[in-house]
Amino acid sequence: MSEKNSLQALFLRPKNWQMDSVKKENVWILSVNVLLVGILLSALMWFGFSRLQYVFMWEHVWYYRINMINGFLMTIVISISSLGLSVLLGIFFGLAQRSRIHMLRIFSRIYIEAIRGTPLLVQILIFFYVIANALGLNNRYVAGILIMSIFSGAYLAEIIRAGVESIGSTQIETARAIGLTKRQTYRFVVFPQVITRVLPPLAGQFASLIKDSSLLSIIAIKEFTLAAREVNANTFSTLESYIPLAIGYLLLTLPISYLTGRLERRYRYET
Amino acid sequence: MRLNILDMTKEFGNHRVLDSVSLYLEDVRSLVLIGPSGGGKTTFLRILAGLEPITSGEIMVNDHRLSCSEEKLLEYRKHIGMVYQAYNLFPHLSALENIILPLTRVHGMTKRDAEDHARSLLKRFHLEEHAAKRPVALSGGQQQRIAICRAVAIKPEFLLLDEPTSALDPEYTSEVLDLIRELHEEGMDLILVTHEMGFAHSAADYVLFISDGGISAQGSPAEIFEQSENHRVSRFLDKVLKYTK
Ligand SMILES: Nc1ncnc2c1ncn2[C@@H]1O[C@H](COP(=O)(O)OP(=O)(O)O)[C@@H](O)[C@H]1O
Ligand SMILES: [Mg+2]
Repeated sequence: MSEKNSLQALFLRPKNWQMDSVKKENVWILSVNVLLVGILLSALMWFGFSRLQYVFMWEHVWYYRINMINGFLMTIVISISSLGLSVLLGIFFGLAQRSRIHMLRIFSRIYIEAIRGTPLLVQILIFFYVIANALGLNNRYVAGILIMSIFSGAYLAEIIRAGVESIGSTQIETARAIGLTKRQTYRFVVFPQVITRVLPPLAGQFASLIKDSSLLSIIAIKEFTLAAREVNANTFSTLESYIPLAIGYLLLTLPISYLTGRLERRYRYET
Repeated sequence: MRLNILDMTKEFGNHRVLDSVSLYLEDVRSLVLIGPSGGGKTTFLRILAGLEPITSGEIMVNDHRLSCSEEKLLEYRKHIGMVYQAYNLFPHLSALENIILPLTRVHGMTKRDAEDHARSLLKRFHLEEHAAKRPVALSGGQQQRIAICRAVAIKPEFLLLDEPTSALDPEYTSEVLDLIRELHEEGMDLILVTHEMGFAHSAADYVLFISDGGISAQGSPAEIFEQSENHRVSRFLDKVLKYTK
């Protein structure tokens, strides 16, 4: 092997490399490249901060660590509750779009288009200051979970509708031919397949939900982002407040995106 | 089987596909439908399968009067077996589970009985090694044979097959036709749409030529395939058989 070839092997993947060939890449090659990317990024950051002449004062933020942790936990609670509720909304409105009742179909369409076509920030403000007020809903945490559920439910409804529609009409016809009722067809034919198909986008939606819930800080819900903003306001240590914030969100979203990737791969092999 | 069709008309919107068709047949054990594509064969078969209500007319199949209400048609469909061109099997279930599903959920068998029954069917048709496989892992011919097993597992009064070999690679055609012939010889009544004229000729008791919104010609295989004076039939046969002679 010539020197040039071994250099090439270190930095370039072979030409005949394919997505499907499950062959593990050489661990050594991979770690060298990860390390190089790491050094490059650190150099870039170091350069950026050196121009800023920023003096890190971590001890101020450390003093407020309990607030940060509580905010982090609150974000988890809000995200999980909203996910559960939005799955119910998503299933209902996803199926309602196929309903025979015109009003139900129209209502779902309006709901989905209105939510997907407006910024979450606007939805939060309108829901909290107009609708929640009118309903006499005083608990802002409940309001926050409701808003996030309504927001996320619209996206899930589309995911679920697409999943149900991806089950071919021949399968529905076959189910009828063997004598299954409509309900049985959904239960034994449609749902089992839809679930495997919507799991990856569902996981992706969960990751978005976690990040998007940061906007709830504007209605003074003490979640992760508000905690960081408060620490910043008290200590004037902007970066020391927001860097842990970014890392905290990554801690939540990275495992989900890893899971999404795995689910997608498994689904690909199943079909 | 006995078929009594009176003035049957079927429209999709204002497109009339079958136009006041009448037919009386008794003691036919295998009925074959042939004809040009778009002629209405599939529609005819789906009506007989209880999958498509007719626009007007009356149909008696054996002792069943086909009604227009979906509940009654659902009840009727429990007595018959239907096999399509392709994609008959549910992709998320194994071959065995595909056969078991209607047995347990529609015909009230226990899981255990259903499984025994399904396994013995697979065994009889030399498919037992594929019992645990999903449809993706099966060849087109194996899929069709398992689909036929599922259709006959419920002990239907007769079996409807819509071009069961048309979507297959030619090498798989004969294994599927062999299975159909075997079933027929064991007493299963058939209604079959096919372009396999050789098979139609040898297996049919009676042939219907469907085109232009109705039955353009009918008779024994000999009458249709050898002596037909109907120019539509002879033109169609010339085309279909052009490269087989
Ligand atoms: N569900 C449907 N809706 C509207 N038109 C249909 C439908 N099914 C069949 N047709 C029409 O009915 C005619 C006959 O179709 P088909 O029964 O599939 O014929 P064949 O099976 O002989 O090819 C065609 O013109 C087709 O377009
Ligand atoms: Mg057809």
